Amino acid sequence: MSDEFYAGIDMGSANAKAVIVDAAGDVCGTAVTPSGVGLVSAARSVFEAAVAEAGIHADDVVAVVSTGYGREIVPNKTKAVTEITCHGRGAKALFPETRFVIDIGGQDSKAIALGTNGTVTGFEMNDKCAAGTGRFLEVMSGALEVDLDRMGAVALEAEEAAAISSTCTVFAESEVVSLLAQGVDPASILAGLCQSVAERVYGLAARVGVQPEVTMTGGVSRNKAVVRAMEKALKISVNVPQDPLIAGALGAALTARNLPSSNDNKEQIS
Amino acid sequence: MTDFAEYVAPFEAVCADPYGPGREAAAEGRKVAGHMCTYTPEELFHAAGYQPLRIFGRNSGATTEADAHLPAFACGFIRSVLDMGLSGELDFLNLMVFSHTCDTMQNLAGIWKRAVPGSAAVTLTTPVTVGTETSIDYFKQEIARARAALEAMGSPAPDAGILESISLYNEHRDWMRRLYAARRANPNAITGREMMAAVLSSCLMAREEHLPHLQSLVEAVENAEVREADRPKVFVVGNMCQNLDYVAAIENAGCLVLEEDLCSGARAFAMEAVDASDPVEQLARMYLTTAACPTKHQPDFDMAGSLRDKAQAISADGVLILLTKFCDPWCFEVPNLKKVFEDAGLPALLVEVESHQPPAEQFRGRVEAFVEMLEGVK
Repeated sequence: MSDEFYAGIDMGSANAKAVIVDAAGDVCGTAVTPSGVGLVSAARSVFEAAVAEAGIHADDVVAVVSTGYGREIVPNKTKAVTEITCHGRGAKALFPETRFVIDIGGQDSKAIALGTNGTVTGFEMNDKCAAGTGRFLEVMSGALEVDLDRMGAVALEAEEAAAISSTCTVFAESEVVSLLAQGVDPASILAGLCQSVAERVYGLAARVGVQPEVTMTGGVSRNKAVVRAMEKALKISVNVPQDPLIAGALGAALTARNLPSSNDNKEQIS
Repeated sequence: MTDFAEYVAPFEAVCADPYGPGREAAAEGRKVAGHMCTYTPEELFHAAGYQPLRIFGRNSGATTEADAHLPAFACGFIRSVLDMGLSGELDFLNLMVFSHTCDTMQNLAGIWKRAVPGSAAVTLTTPVTVGTETSIDYFKQEIARARAALEAMGSPAPDAGILESISLYNEHRDWMRRLYAARRANPNAITGREMMAAVLSSCLMAREEHLPHLQSLVEAVENAEVREADRPKVFVVGNMCQNLDYVAAIENAGCLVLEEDLCSGARAFAMEAVDASDPVEQLARMYLTTAACPTKHQPDFDMAGSLRDKAQAISADGVLILLTKFCDPWCFEVPNLKKVFEDAGLPALLVEVESHQPPAEQFRGRVEAFVEMLEGVK
């Protein structure tokens, strides 16, 4: 039993993430690589990197659950499970009292309500556009020449947040350009952008019905200004894992561990 | 593909070329009347010598021509149908019938008369409040007005003819109800997609031609060995879903679309025969006493409650509220609907779609997540 490991591979729009857990459900290895255009090779290399980090053999992995946009393309999957279920599972593992998950990824944002046993009881996803996603911030990072990883810190330095009224990524970029032309401090603009992401996603969350504790997952939750704005909108503090990017892959690995007789139907990785 | 493939094949063939039967009828010299809504008393037009044809729009493709005439918030259904009209795809129609329901439909009638050259059109002002005696009186006058317009166009609909058409349609509706009942009793016999093909094709073919195929399918399902549902049973409610790929995508997510209550589905067969000597009175009463759609107000009718009862009657595991986007009459119903379903312990998911385009990845993901939720995956 101690030699059995389980993998979760989360093929997101921006990054491929993999997590290996052991029979007890403890994390032994993680890896993140850009998804790129070669999803199959990204899935393989992120899996192999996580296996290497865990210091095990690929053969020791008895079940693989894939998730994310590219979940069907993962060659060695035992089962594909949606990111809604996996993020719920991952957040619950990281913060056991989690009853609500806000996941902001590269191309979508999700609000997920969990029952006390960790199963999904309701959810909403953005379906209109990229507003309130990582891609929105990526575009703005380019427009403002501030690294994506520094955006949150810079935004928190602003004295006040500039008002960003457009919900469309392209129109919001035009708005940013005109604010710059008016001489508005870039930090204020960044603060306004982070606030607008949080407000978009808050709308989704409110539709599902927020219940504490709230855990944020996905790459955007590394942006402290977005987290702060989200807490302000929700009027409660939220949990943010140390590595929010891998929450979905962790949930997938734990789902793999829960699969019945997961050893029987695994496709071979090649 | 099930054992019923041969029975379903004629329906699938029609759905693959939805306006083929209408075009063929026109080519054979029959008059064809297009319409867009379940509040159209097809029997009247049938009695006047037309083959009624429900226009659902297309299942894919740009709507470039229509975009020039419509604001961004007009739904894909209206956009798609107008684009068909503007690009000449409906030139085979002899008549287009507009029934007043939502604002967009009403305005489409106006745009159509100006923008689609050479088309004959009849508008039926369906009252907003339905089911009351006053509304039935009013609708009788509207039907009589349409009847006079048909007569002026050289296509009279005599009383005896209307009664005959009503009788044909009632028989067809009875068989449709038997099909729904047969499927409820044998949930896994045919797929939701096959069911939908049978349902949609009946609005696209002449009823008298659809009927024998329908009877064969019903008898086959009624006599088949019962196969119980082996996946979560989903009840789909909403406005338009004329695109079989959506039903297929829902079922591919791992559930069974056991029953629906859609404008493009069961709602088109809900009218029950009524007793009245005057055929116009029969039509007015039959159409206005049927469970109202969200564009109408029907005193004493609890839409959410009736849908909940239907979901419970089929022991649904969950309800998918499937909406073609930008349908405000339906959207206003959703918060209450969700509450009523959830209060009854029925998980409900709202998915807004562009059903006039192929299903998007987000749609697949959402429905899969819903099925995982129903299965309690963790």
